[in-house]
Amino acid sequence: MSTSFAKKTPFITRPMIVLFLALGTFPLWGTSVGLYDYLGVEIVIWIIYALGFNLLLGYTGLPSFGHGAFFGVGAYSYGLFQLNVFESVWLAVAAGVVGGAVVAGLVACFISHRRGIYYALMTIAFGQVCWFVSMKWHTVTGGEDGLLNVHRGTLNLLVTDASLKDNADLFYFAFAVLVAVVLILWRLVHSPYGKALQAIRMNQMRAGFVGYNVWLIKWSVFTLSGAIAGLAGGLFAIAQESAYPDVMSLHASGFVVMMTLIGGGFVSFWGPVIGAIVFFVARDFLGSITETWLLWYGLMFMGVIIFKPEGIAGAFQDFVAKRRARVEN
Amino acid sequence: MALFEAIHLHKRFGDQVVLEDISLTFEAGQLSGIMGPNGAGKSTCFNVLTGHYKPNAGKVMFEGKDITGLPPRVIAGMGIARSFQLMNLFDEFTVIENILVALPESVAKSFNIGHDIMGNSSATDRAADVLAKVGLTGRELELAGNLPYGERRALEIGVALASEPRLLFLDEPTQGLGADGTARLEELIGELKKTYSIVIIEHDMKFLFGLADTISVIHWGQVIAQGSPDQLRDNEWVRASKIGDAA
Amino acid sequence: MDIILNLLPHLLNGLALGLLFALIALGFMLIVGVMELINLAHGSLFALGAYVAMTIIDPNLSGYGAFGEWYMGLSLTLRYIIALAFAPVIVAFVGMGLEICMRRTYGKKAEYGLLLTYGAALVLEETIRITWGSAEQVLQIPDAISGAFIAGGMIYSNYRFFAAGFGLVLILVVWLFLEKTPYGSIIKAGAHDSEMVRALGVNLTRLRLLVFGLGAGLSAIAGVVLTPIWGLRPHVGVDVVIPAFLIIVLGGIGSFWGAVIGGILVGLTVGIVGALAPEWSLMSMYILLIIVITFRTRGLLGKKSALEN
Repeated sequence: MSTSFAKKTPFITRPMIVLFLALGTFPLWGTSVGLYDYLGVEIVIWIIYALGFNLLLGYTGLPSFGHGAFFGVGAYSYGLFQLNVFESVWLAVAAGVVGGAVVAGLVACFISHRRGIYYALMTIAFGQVCWFVSMKWHTVTGGEDGLLNVHRGTLNLLVTDASLKDNADLFYFAFAVLVAVVLILWRLVHSPYGKALQAIRMNQMRAGFVGYNVWLIKWSVFTLSGAIAGLAGGLFAIAQESAYPDVMSLHASGFVVMMTLIGGGFVSFWGPVIGAIVFFVARDFLGSITETWLLWYGLMFMGVIIFKPEGIAGAFQDFVAKRRARVEN
Repeated sequence: MALFEAIHLHKRFGDQVVLEDISLTFEAGQLSGIMGPNGAGKSTCFNVLTGHYKPNAGKVMFEGKDITGLPPRVIAGMGIARSFQLMNLFDEFTVIENILVALPESVAKSFNIGHDIMGNSSATDRAADVLAKVGLTGRELELAGNLPYGERRALEIGVALASEPRLLFLDEPTQGLGADGTARLEELIGELKKTYSIVIIEHDMKFLFGLADTISVIHWGQVIAQGSPDQLRDNEWVRASKIGDAA
Repeated sequence: MDIILNLLPHLLNGLALGLLFALIALGFMLIVGVMELINLAHGSLFALGAYVAMTIIDPNLSGYGAFGEWYMGLSLTLRYIIALAFAPVIVAFVGMGLEICMRRTYGKKAEYGLLLTYGAALVLEETIRITWGSAEQVLQIPDAISGAFIAGGMIYSNYRFFAAGFGLVLILVVWLFLEKTPYGSIIKAGAHDSEMVRALGVNLTRLRLLVFGLGAGLSAIAGVVLTPIWGLRPHVGVDVVIPAFLIIVLGGIGSFWGAVIGGILVGLTVGIVGALAPEWSLMSMYILLIIVITFRTRGLLGKKSALEN
């Protein structure tokens, strides 16, 4: 062969380094620009959540509008494990992951042969069921108030123990989890599995005729996405020292959809990251000048869908392409 | 033993019988054609043979094994590939990615998340080979959705070839191609027929008569004639419908 | 026998509730049927209709002198009728505005339309919050249809039966409109065959605009009629759009009677479960949906739809 088209996927890329350096040092510079450590924690948690969600929406093209359910199940699993089973941050977070995965895996059994609008609707229906259960099953979930006595606990790091009481310490823990999630998902989307997800998005029937087990891939990606949502939910329970039904509502599920889209999840791995950051900065920034920041955020979302459905990442890619074209001419 | 056999296939949708009773045999190393007027049941027949539809009665055998009603992915895994009449590419992938995802090793590793699909030069080389076979060398990094019509047709066949099939089904490959494109496709398939066993469904008689070793004519859901192009030229029905003149 | 007798009032209640659910689903059905678009703003248009009606019935006209005095001097019944007539018209125009925003998403993935209406729902809800506040409000109703009566030891509210009757009438009117008028046939053709609509010389752009306006207006009517029962708060939209969505899918996308049957089925389920285990009554409809859709892929009377891709 004269030319080889093989192009190795690096384990670490430039955007990753930028993200890790900029976000990882947040507690060092955040307060000096008027932000606060807890904001960093929220952003990191929602980035994890949105990255996992984008496996479904952006990569596989499966619209899930009830994803808050798995985030919530993760939070409850964390709290219930800590309160009833064993006092360990690691194991309780693992319980969150398993909780999210198990519930998502069950739901996926009902929906993985579907797509499009029926898929969206079934995810809404299951999301609402989870939300109702969390509100009404008082003895386990604590009803509308949620689990109240969750505490942050101490992280066992083998050589030493670290308390997560301080928001900055919690931030570093959540950030370490984010780094692991980014590295793993980056490999995943460049593996045959990641390509198969995209192939299913573009042409599900052909993917089947090429030989892929479409049902199993759709089932597994939903479950995986639910597990990551559960992970984020577990971290959220630490951060909030609580688990409550609100995060499972249709509204909260809608937020992760909007973030992922505004950021540009359809065209970029980094879309959900951008989207989550924009969401929280918009909330704090707009929220400080107007009570009704959601109105403006909603208008922004509509604007993105109407004029640039590829989102911020898509606009950035266009900009780079245009500049490259100009340089070449 | 024939490579592929369809035995007394019957298919209906609701009350409407589309395939009355179809029996076909395709031999290894040959190019077999299926033809017939529009609405004769060609497409349904093709979809039943390749596992897209399940027949109401009858059997489909491949290499002596009963494959009736198996899901398409299983049939694909056994070595049968098909192209589509309406194009079914992965439009947002590049040309070479379209081939890469269809390689059997990619399918086999579909749950191996540690494997770097684009970083494996033996796989990309193989994909480039497939593209060379269908005449798309030099277009590897183009987005499939941006290709002109004729090249999309070629890629459509390339994706089917990527699975290294022992039997290749092509559904109306000349559909939508001009005279020029059809001539080029004829050349390409003439080349492929040296290495692959192929079944083509086609309404362009001239095209089929020039390429096929045997042809089956389907009408009213039945096989009404079968034989080599020469034998068919003398067939009553073919003569009556004047399609023989074209060939 | 006793069980049946005990259940009878709940069945009756459930049936009435079902007609209300069907009423909610009407506007949603029209838009999904013709445009193959899931309008998630449906609930917010419903809420907007109710808020506009509330303002028409009881506006703050202190600065308008004689006109204000004259208007407030009109009977409540008259003002209620004015609201029922004009609130839907105003909301229909809002719906048409939304349709104009939608135009750039036609021909793209169906999800974009869905997401845009989701954004619109958020925007409408927040606008309502700014204009009318977050607190629960009351929509006044004329005395003639308020009050309650007792039958067989159970209390029934008059208004519930008025609303159910209204729902029944509106369902029939919409059905007659779709079946018996030329507009109806064009709309129905648009549902399956936009090419045929074009061939008939109908302006598809205008058809979509009108259908969206009509759908939004129907949502608003449902809002005016139903809020005296369900209460009026900015986020009532979510409580409405999800059942509407669910009823349409349950009945089968693109089927008029499917939507009506779906609505009644949901009403009966919620009513009966409500009698036995009130805590879980609202959840029962989701379970119903999951069961039906698991066994009947396209709902009760559904046909194949482009939305599946």
